[in-house]
Amino acid sequence: MNLDFSQIVPYIPFMLEGIWVTLKFVFFAIILGSILGTVLALFKIGSIKPLRWFADAYTSIFRGTPLILQLMIIYYSIPQLTGYDISPFLSAILAFGLNSSAYISEIIRAGIQAVDKGQMEAAQALGVPYRAMMTDIILPQALKNILPALMNEFITLTKESAIVSTIGYLDLMRRAQVVGSDLFRNFEPLLFVGLIYWCLVMGLTVIGRMFERRLKQSD
Amino acid sequence: MIKVEHLYKKFGTNEVLKDITTEIKKGEVVSIIGPSGSGKSTFLRCLNMLEIPTYGTVVVNGQDLTGPKKDVQKIRQHIGMVFQHFHLFPHLTVLENLTYAPMKVKGEKKETAQEKARLLLKRVGLAEKEKAYPSSLSGGQKQRVAIARALAMEPDLMLFDEPTSALDPEMVKEVLDVMKDLAKSGMTMAVVTHEMGFAREVADRVIFLDHGVLVEEGQPAAFFNSPQTERARDFLEKVL
Repeated sequence: MNLDFSQIVPYIPFMLEGIWVTLKFVFFAIILGSILGTVLALFKIGSIKPLRWFADAYTSIFRGTPLILQLMIIYYSIPQLTGYDISPFLSAILAFGLNSSAYISEIIRAGIQAVDKGQMEAAQALGVPYRAMMTDIILPQALKNILPALMNEFITLTKESAIVSTIGYLDLMRRAQVVGSDLFRNFEPLLFVGLIYWCLVMGLTVIGRMFERRLKQSD
Repeated sequence: MIKVEHLYKKFGTNEVLKDITTEIKKGEVVSIIGPSGSGKSTFLRCLNMLEIPTYGTVVVNGQDLTGPKKDVQKIRQHIGMVFQHFHLFPHLTVLENLTYAPMKVKGEKKETAQEKARLLLKRVGLAEKEKAYPSSLSGGQKQRVAIARALAMEPDLMLFDEPTSALDPEMVKEVLDVMKDLAKSGMTMAVVTHEMGFAREVADRVIFLDHGVLVEEGQPAAFFNSPQTERARDFLEKVL
């Protein structure tokens, strides 16, 4: 068996730097996806028809086409159409944020609809305005129910982030490939970043569990 | 205080309320009774626009809820409502349940709201539960908190939608006692109930609905002892 992990040692700092690079855009993509997803979910359950159609069409498009295609379209078509030379970083945030907002909106919609209708009626009967009712009463309860599904989405996003290596963004995955072609040995660097991805996901899982415990306080 | 005129409510083709006209005066306690499916709850929910009437007018405190220029939210602040299934906010403590709306809706200061909330909790006998979450309370305690929560908005009128129907029998009394107290204090109340004892003892007037029609109304003594209509007689025979 031809395995030699000592060969990748000089490249370890280079690959570790990828953690930060990956996390940076994953972080922004999650923020963008969550905000946009919440807004879309509110559109979907709201009473304004055009907004509902928009949110449904949006979800249908972003769920119905491959993520890698969306990434490519954003990265290559924005310079072609507008002349603005979009960076891989920004393309990655946009593609992942827009894509995951479609999924997140579905998760949140289901979560809101699972909250007992009586909660809304109780808030309305007290004269609480719609916005406050949503942010203070309904969404916190929905969040508790959907946290596992939401964590799942964030984990998927973190792992799928490896796709950005295709547009030359120097994330973990890309760095493994660079090291691989430098050394003519691919298995070791790939295994190494695989381990890092797993650690990242475990970290997310632990954070999710902590949140869940905190929200369970009222049970 | 409340004037209801020619109120109709349809769910699709199903006519739940038909031409209801009645009035609730200030300080009056009105019991709304009738068989299940008679439209009692729907009627009550039309009084604070949780159900939008299909036709007819509901006037509360001189303001037409069914009119074109209505500020339902504003009017609801003056109408407390207590539900069959409590609907306490499960992620808030008992005290927060009471202070949330006064702070958010009326802009009360936290200290003021808490002070008033504590008085109310004392009044419903739950002063020691202010830090508890609803899930740790019994049904009767939950309903008493729900009553206190509605009172925290200092309403002019309280609506009760079968407040004791979801309770274990031994907890009915503690809730009814709170309601009796409230009635004595002069609160205007509309109570949908299956508790005929409460209707008879506490109510100033009984409204009997059947199949969405206001069949009979009158003073409890007269209504329970000598109902005027066949349908009311039938109903009372079954429940008493």
